[in-house]
Amino acid sequence: MYNIYFAKTEQLESFAKELKKLARVFAPLAKDAQSPKQTDYLYQRLCEDTALAFNPYRTVEPLKSFFTYKYEKVADYFNSAKNLTDITEKTVIFGVKSCDIAGHKIQDFVFLEGVEVDSLYRARRENTIIISGDCTDFKEVCHCLAWEIMPFPSAGFDLNLSPLNDGFIVEVGSKKGQELVNQHKDYFTPVKDTQIAGRNAKRQSILDRLKRHLLFQNLVSKDQVQNLIREGFSLDTWKEFMLNCVECGGCNFICDTCHCFLLADSSQKQQQNGKLRLWDSCQYKNYARVAGGANPQKTRAARLRFRFTKKFDFFVDNLGAPACCGCGRCIEVCPGKIDIREVLKDLANKLKKQQ
Amino acid sequence: MNKNIYKPIEAVVEDIITESQTIKTFTLRPKENFSFRTGQFIELTLPGIGEAPFTPSSDPNVKDKIDVTIMNAGSVTSLLHNIPKNSSLGIRGPYGKGYPLEKFHGKDVLIVGGGVGLAPLRSLVLSLFGQIDKYKKLVLRYGARTGGDLIYKDAIPEWSRKPKVDLVTTVDVGDPSWKGHVGLVTTILEDLPVNLGNAVGIVCGPPIMMKFVTMKLLDVGFKPKDIYLSMEKNMSCGLGKCGHCRLGSYYTCKDGPVFTYEEVKDLHDIWD
Ligand code: SF4
Ligand code: SF4
Ligand code: FES
Repeated sequence: MYNIYFAKTEQLESFAKELKKLARVFAPLAKDAQSPKQTDYLYQRLCEDTALAFNPYRTVEPLKSFFTYKYEKVADYFNSAKNLTDITEKTVIFGVKSCDIAGHKIQDFVFLEGVEVDSLYRARRENTIIISGDCTDFKEVCHCLAWEIMPFPSAGFDLNLSPLNDGFIVEVGSKKGQELVNQHKDYFTPVKDTQIAGRNAKRQSILDRLKRHLLFQNLVSKDQVQNLIREGFSLDTWKEFMLNCVECGGCNFICDTCHCFLLADSSQKQQQNGKLRLWDSCQYKNYARVAGGANPQKTRAARLRFRFTKKFDFFVDNLGAPACCGCGRCIEVCPGKIDIREVLKDLANKLKKQQ
Repeated sequence: MNKNIYKPIEAVVEDIITESQTIKTFTLRPKENFSFRTGQFIELTLPGIGEAPFTPSSDPNVKDKIDVTIMNAGSVTSLLHNIPKNSSLGIRGPYGKGYPLEKFHGKDVLIVGGGVGLAPLRSLVLSLFGQIDKYKKLVLRYGARTGGDLIYKDAIPEWSRKPKVDLVTTVDVGDPSWKGHVGLVTTILEDLPVNLGNAVGIVCGPPIMMKFVTMKLLDVGFKPKDIYLSMEKNMSCGLGKCGHCRLGSYYTCKDGPVFTYEEVKDLHDIWD
């Protein structure tokens, strides 16, 4: 068990200022500061005088964007002795939410486990401090609870902040987090029982509100979903929903759990000569095309289904849990208004009718 | 410790053999230690251009050189076909599981190849020759579109003279110079000289050929668990990370590329 502290709002501000001396510090910034409960939050690198804001719900960008980039060089060719993993910078990220942490387990599974470790990813992971926070509100699209993810994290962070009226409860979740607190003792005081009670009350309140929000949506549950996807393989759902897909790839790029990439080679004329890694989308036409021209995912319907079988069948088989954290980012981003909740519900409804 | 899994090692093109109008074999000499098991694949980089997966066609017991037989079929392969000797290429790998040779011990081994699908099988055949006393019999069946599309023209007669080997080739379309069998590869799979209770069938070729050969083998009495297929999927990383090669709940690159028919038969779209 790790320790738990209290920090007044000003103390946390000063702590963040100290952190800026040690590392790059990113924190969410409200797009529209006038309406903090309706606006979107975007990550911003804190400079000298930007104040720390507390986001009531998740940011626009997924957490993965700190660990793999949309487009980056991952290796030099053989003529270079340079090792790209040596140049990661110390980073602190505020404003991470429970869904992000859950989604990030998928990224960790992909890049840190399996046949080989991605040492670039690992270096970034080791050099990053994750400071998460409880959700105090939610977006319409949020549905973490459907996947049995709470709107406040219980593990997977270095420090977690639970806002109270005059400050924050700071829960330590790792050795790295504890070291950071030890180095900045002045900003933290022992937590009082009344403060813990305050946190519990706030947590219960968000939980109740979110439950109410999701209740009438009648969402598919975690233990149903794999069967649903398998049995729904030949349903018309895929054809019907794909009609609006413009193959932009947004749903994949914005997703906390999507991890597909393409390795490419940069032209010899460019200085950036070497292996590039680009985020890729399974909704793109040539995603699965082989050199001879065959393409097992030729139609948009097949590709939409491919995205779902990856999340709800492949990952249940390989990791024991679906690869969706209910953040709802893909719902917000989709120009075709394709809603992951609706697709799953449609499968369930159609199967029910068949019986 | 901090090994970069995306970084290729350098290999020099030592020799280039033209096998047919569309197929060439490149002999590569890696500049660092490199070894593979038969059936595993490598990613070959043409620096500044791109990368593509190939299963080496040489004997894995030869450690200093690797042969890669390449069909001119896409953008990277057409450029590879034009590189001169002594060019530097990059290789990553080897990836995947390869053929489980121990499982073939004491058995009749049937090997069916189509077109450039004979490339990985050549590596397999050469490693089987290296320990031939471990196998009862090698039955080779190879089909190409025309006589001109047959690859390893010099090696094939030599293989057929080896003890324990029974080899038949066929072409889909005959011509006056072709003296052998004419017909699809499935037509030379009748009355196979194998003991079905103690045989394995290994198939590599274009998906449509693998489909019909598999059906045929099931038909003549092979069990799904004794049919080994090389699945072709779009591979990029080779490491089970990029997602491209997914086949149901497998990644072809790390769980394959060789699967038994038993493992894949219930998955959707395996031949597409
Ligand atoms: S699939 Fe959609 S809701 Fe689920 S984790 Fe990805 S972006 Fe979030
Ligand atoms: S965001 Fe919507 S339109 Fe874009 S690829 Fe995904 S499903 Fe298709
Ligand atoms: S080739 Fe990248 S996961 Fe298989």
